[in-house]
Parts: sequence; structure tokens; C-alpha cells
Amino acid sequence: MQALASTVNRDPTAPHYMFQDDPYLTPRTSAEFFALMFFLSSIFLSSTEIILPLPGVWQNDCCVSVLQCLMPETMELCIEEVSEAALLERIMLRKVKAAVDMYDQLLQAGTTVSPDASNDLLDLICLYGDRDPVQDDKPEAEDVEVQEEGRRRKGRLRRASDLVRIVWRENNNAERIFNLLPERDTRAYSALIRGMVKYGAHVKAFNTYTDMLNNRLTADVHTFNALISAAPEVRERYTEKWDLIVDLLNQMNEQKVKPNLLTFNALLKALRRCGSLARAQSLHTLSEMKAMGIAPSLASFDHVLGIFYKADSRGPYINNLIDQVIHAILNVALTLFSLPVNFFSSAMRICLDTKDIEAAYKVHDLLRVGENWRMLGDSFQQSIYYGRMFNLLCMMEHIDVVLKWYKELIPSLYYPNPQGMRDLLQALDTDNRLDMIPQIWKDIRRMGHDNKSDLVDELLSLMARDKHSPEIQESFAVCALDVKSLYEQGQGARMALEWTATAMTNITSVLLAAQKKQQAWDMLKLFKTKNRVPSEELMEEFLASIKSSNDPQHAMELVQISASFCLPSTPKLAERVLQAFELSEEQKSQLKSASEVKSNTESRT
Amino acid sequence: MAASLSCRGVKLSIALARVGTSICVNSGTRTLHVTAICCKNRAARIRVGKGDRPLTYEQALHPHHIGHRKGWLSQHTGNLQGEGGASDRTVEDMFVRRFIFGTFHNCLANEVVIKRRGNMLVVCALMLQKLPPQKLYFLIGYTETLLSHFYKCPVKMEVQTLADKAVYKYL
Repeated sequence: MQALASTVNRDPTAPHYMFQDDPYLTPRTSAEFFALMFFLSSIFLSSTEIILPLPGVWQNDCCVSVLQCLMPETMELCIEEVSEAALLERIMLRKVKAAVDMYDQLLQAGTTVSPDASNDLLDLICLYGDRDPVQDDKPEAEDVEVQEEGRRRKGRLRRASDLVRIVWRENNNAERIFNLLPERDTRAYSALIRGMVKYGAHVKAFNTYTDMLNNRLTADVHTFNALISAAPEVRERYTEKWDLIVDLLNQMNEQKVKPNLLTFNALLKALRRCGSLARAQSLHTLSEMKAMGIAPSLASFDHVLGIFYKADSRGPYINNLIDQVIHAILNVALTLFSLPVNFFSSAMRICLDTKDIEAAYKVHDLLRVGENWRMLGDSFQQSIYYGRMFNLLCMMEHIDVVLKWYKELIPSLYYPNPQGMRDLLQALDTDNRLDMIPQIWKDIRRMGHDNKSDLVDELLSLMARDKHSPEIQESFAVCALDVKSLYEQGQGARMALEWTATAMTNITSVLLAAQKKQQAWDMLKLFKTKNRVPSEELMEEFLASIKSSNDPQHAMELVQISASFCLPSTPKLAERVLQAFELSEEQKSQLKSASEVKSNTESRT
Repeated sequence: MAASLSCRGVKLSIALARVGTSICVNSGTRTLHVTAICCKNRAARIRVGKGDRPLTYEQALHPHHIGHRKGWLSQHTGNLQGEGGASDRTVEDMFVRRFIFGTFHNCLANEVVIKRRGNMLVVCALMLQKLPPQKLYFLIGYTETLLSHFYKCPVKMEVQTLADKAVYKYL
């Protein structure tokens, strides 16, 4: 029964559903993961765009039952002659330029275009900002001003349209067509205003709105939403912004337009820019929403949290606001929203800032309620969310709990960065579970963080610091030898790490503690070749281990090595060797000369 | 023809034998015993050779072991009582097998198993780790999309990889 029960929930050993369930084919590091996700989402696009339109592919229509979505899509224009049907077809296929051209041709030919068609055209232009919707990364730069930030294919899941920002140009097609319209109704104005707000021409949007009022037309709810979201851009001071918004709301009331969820969300979003008066007003807004019977969505709560917990503010936190918010979300039926919302990652950030682990657990439980998991965002947002959660866990929780979450989250949901691994190492240190270090090292290697020298250094120093039981020392020694091999040669195309004195010292002491004397001697010789100086404690440790194995020859070598490094403790070492070991005359004289050389150099300097 | 030609010869020698004469049997006739030809079954069988040819389990067991020691490579309901379309399914199967064989050239470790669940076609393949994962994913995605659009039903691939072919015996 238990075995069956364990299959009901998520399987932590399985990769993401988009990948094949095979160890060779599952991405191991975070970079591979993002590269592969981006790649997979573009395969579909390339197949449908490049291969399927080829003529030979559709010849054998050999199936009986047919899924409509798999039938050949007509992306080509069928109707060529100048007519309104052609215009509508272009609008449906989302070909902005072709539609505008067709409209111009229709007007030149003298035919009147029906108001519905022209409104549709205006909607299309304003939605896409007067350029064709981008399918691949080749925007046409002739007609529209485009600001492109450098396009990076690998490792970024942003679509091309996010990287390219369109600016509303003067006298572009939308305005031109708008002016050409014989009668302009609410819908046309609404389309124009929303397009302007979407593409950044906020002042113009307000001017158009005044125009509209002068023509004695009433705006609809979408226009008001757009104007409310544009309000913070056109005024400078917080009070003015708020006044403008209140003004708009009053007008909305007068024109008998009922606000909807989007209105309230736009309101809350605008309030984030309104500074100090935001807090009271936002709570006011929430109660208005309740009074009107509109269920809030996660976006509204996200804005509320953003108002109250600004990232850099030091004001008094309302401590249990997040608890109340979570309580509200659980009990109030939410309307699901499809716009990307950062609710979960910002909630987790707040929990991290306030170091509230209970709230973090509650936020995580929220994911399981209903459809909320869809709100977690794309893989990038997910990695931020889980990163913060893991950070909080490592800080606040006992190591057993941390390890349990570690097994669950990594690597199926989250690939930790080096900082995350350091947090984990610190947590292990705090709770005295350093015996887990070799396993963690294996994970670090698998995730590709073994070329981060500070992480490796920290690992080594944790291993070398204290004395442990023999089995643990053995495992540490194996781990240390593994680390050493990393320093010596890079894996494949990667550069080998640079040797540092601390790293070498730590490796040597770990090896000594595990009684691996031959390897420790090799390390000591390595010091000389790599020009690094061993520390005095290391020499002491060596001496202790040599004493236990009673090897005078090695003792001699030790003193000579120490002399060659001009360590200040060489004479003391020589004395101790003299006392501790049975030495022949020859060896004694060698010792004396070694320590004298040392003292000579000392007296000279 | 050979049988009919020697019929007379057979009858003659039988007649002579019946007579029981001590007349010499080889009185100018050469008899040829023939029966209907029964050729050795060669279907899907790899014959014993020098001992250096590696075979997978699938290749090593002969077709009469299907159902006893081997499973089926293609699973659909066309062969059940009262169901039709078995020939169509077979033709589709052959196309899919050749398609996959050609797309993943030299990468298949064993025969492809094709399962039909509802209206979905699931192609289960065992691959060798010859291609880097990204290329493999590209080919998998390409196959899935193309075959889906071709057969108008969702086609999914389930791939497992091996370092090299699993050898069952050497013949």
C-alpha cells in the first residue's frame, strides 16, 4: 500500500515531462536544462514552418479519422482580388502589413469598407503595434522603429518579442486609418487608446481620450483599464497620480461603466507606483472588490504584496499580512488569470526577507490548491522560486528536513547555483553532518559546479578542519583525491583549476588523517613543483604521522623539505627529529647542516 | 516435370519388382525419387555461423517463439475477433519502422516497438548513445511532429538509451 501511495504524487527522480526518461537524455546542469528547454520549444516551430509546408509531405492522405489541428494549416493567402473578404482574411491570418495594403487599395478603388471591418483592422494594427507578429527572430525593421537588445539563443527562454521593444511612431498606420474613418465610434477610439498605452504613447492616449469625450462618446471598460494603467506615467508626484486615477474612476462612474477584475488589477498595479499612500488605498480597493462581488486573482494579491513589502524599504512590516493573504487565497475562490504573474516568486522573496519558514511552507502548499501550479511561471521563474525556497530552508531548518527537501527538489525541479550549494554546505556544518560531504561533492560534480574554485576551497576546508571517525576519513580521502585530479587536468574542454596553497594544504591534511601516507608524500612534493609553501601545521602533522610509523628516512626528508622552503620552524623540527628517532651519524650531521643552513640564512636576512 | 518423367520409370521398376523376377533391375532405367519440395524455413532466422556474430535476444529467437519466449513488436487491436483494419495497421507500421530506421541511422539498438493506445501511436525505441542528447532530441521532435501531421493522430516517442547493443549470444 505504501508503495502504491508513493506513486500518487510527483516523482522526484523523474525528469521534467518534456524530456525523455533516460539518464543519458536528462540534462544535468542548469545551463543544459535551459538550453534544452529552449531547443525543444523551437523544434516544433521549425518542423511546422520549414518541413510541413513542403509540397511532397501532404501527398498521402491515408487516414480515416482526422484530428483537425493536425491538418495542413493554410498560412497562405487565398483571396487575391481587392475586396472586403480579402481584408477579413488577412486580418484573420494576422498579416498586418498585407491587411493595411488591402485596406488602402479598397479605399483607392472607391469601395466603402464596412465599419466592422475597419474596426477589426484597427484592432489588429493596435494589437500588434503596426508590425507583423513575430514568428521567428527576424523582425522587419523598415516600417517601425525597433529597439533591439542583443539576441541570445542559448539559455534564455524569453521569446524574441520580449527582447524587441516597439515604440509607437508618429503618424503610423493606426492613426492614419483612424483619421480616415468616416465615423469613429467607441470601438475605434478604444482600440486606438489601448494600442497607444500598450506601446508607450501615454500622453497621446490621454489626448485621444479627451478627444473622445469632446465627441460625446462613452468609453468602455477596456479603455478605462488602459487609461488607469497609463496614469502613473503621465504625472510626476504621487498625489497627482492618485488624483488622476480617482478622476478616471469618477468618470467611469458617471458614464455608467462597470469595473471588472482587470480594472482593479490595473488600479493596484498603478498604486505600486504611488508611494506612501498606496497602502491604505490598496486595502480600500480590496474591500471594494469584495463589495462588488468580483473575486480577486493572484495578480491582485501580487500587487498588494508588492505594495506592502517593497524590496528595498526599511519601513515597518505588517508581519502577518502575508499570512492573511495566504488565508484569503485559500478561502476565496480565485479567478484564474493567464497573464504571467510573479506572485509565487515574490511571495517567496518576502518569506526569505522576513525569514519566515512557516509562511514559506504555506506558500508552497498553495501550489497544490486547484490550478495554482500554472501560476508558477516559466522555467526561469520556477528556478528563482525554488532557489529562494531552498535558501530559506538551509538557513532556518534542521539538516534532516533540508536533506529531505534536497532529495525532492534537486535535480528534478531545480538546479542549484554555487551559492545554493554553499548554503547547503553551511547547513551541514551547522548541524554536524559533515559525513554527507562526499555525496554532496558527487552532486556538485554532476551539476558542473566543480570549476568554481571558491566552492571547492570551502568544501576542502570543511573536510580538513576537524577530526572524524576512520570511515568518514576514508571517504573524505577518496573525495580529496577526486578533487586533486580535477586540479591536475581539466575535463574535456574545461580548464583545470589553479592550485592554491590552502587547497593543497587541506588536501594533504585530509590524506594524512586517513593514513594515506604515500599520497600525502606525493602532495608534499607537488608543493615544490607548483611553487606553493606549505604551512607549519602541516609539517607538524607530517611529523606526528611519521613518528607513528617510525621512519627515520622520511623524517630526514621532511626536515630537508622544510629547510628548502625556508620555513622558520626548521630548527625546531630538526631538534624534534633528533630526539624522537634513532639516527645514524651521517643522518645527524645532515640534520645539523640543514638546520644550520636555515639559521645562516636567517642570520643573513 | 521431373516427377512425371520418372513416373514411368518408377512404375516400371515397381512392376518388375512385383513380378519378382531376378531380371536385373537396372535394365536401362534410372529412377529418381522425388517428393514435393519442402524447403527449410528461413523466416527471421539467423543461421549458426563462425561464432563471431553478435545477436540480440530479438534476433536470436526464431519466430515460432513469439508468444512463448518473445513478445510482439507491434501492438494493436486489429487482429481481435470482429475488429478490422489489421492490414492498414501493418502498412502504417512498416512505414513507421522504415522512417525511424532511416532517421536514426545507425543509432537503433533493437527493433522498434509500436503501440497503439486510443488514437495515439507510441513508438518505443532503444537507441545507442552515439549522438549527443541535443541532436537526439531534435530527431525525436522532428519524427513526432512529422508523423503526427502525416497520420493525423498524436505520435509519441519513448526512447531509452544504451551504451552499446545488448548481446544475447554469438552465432
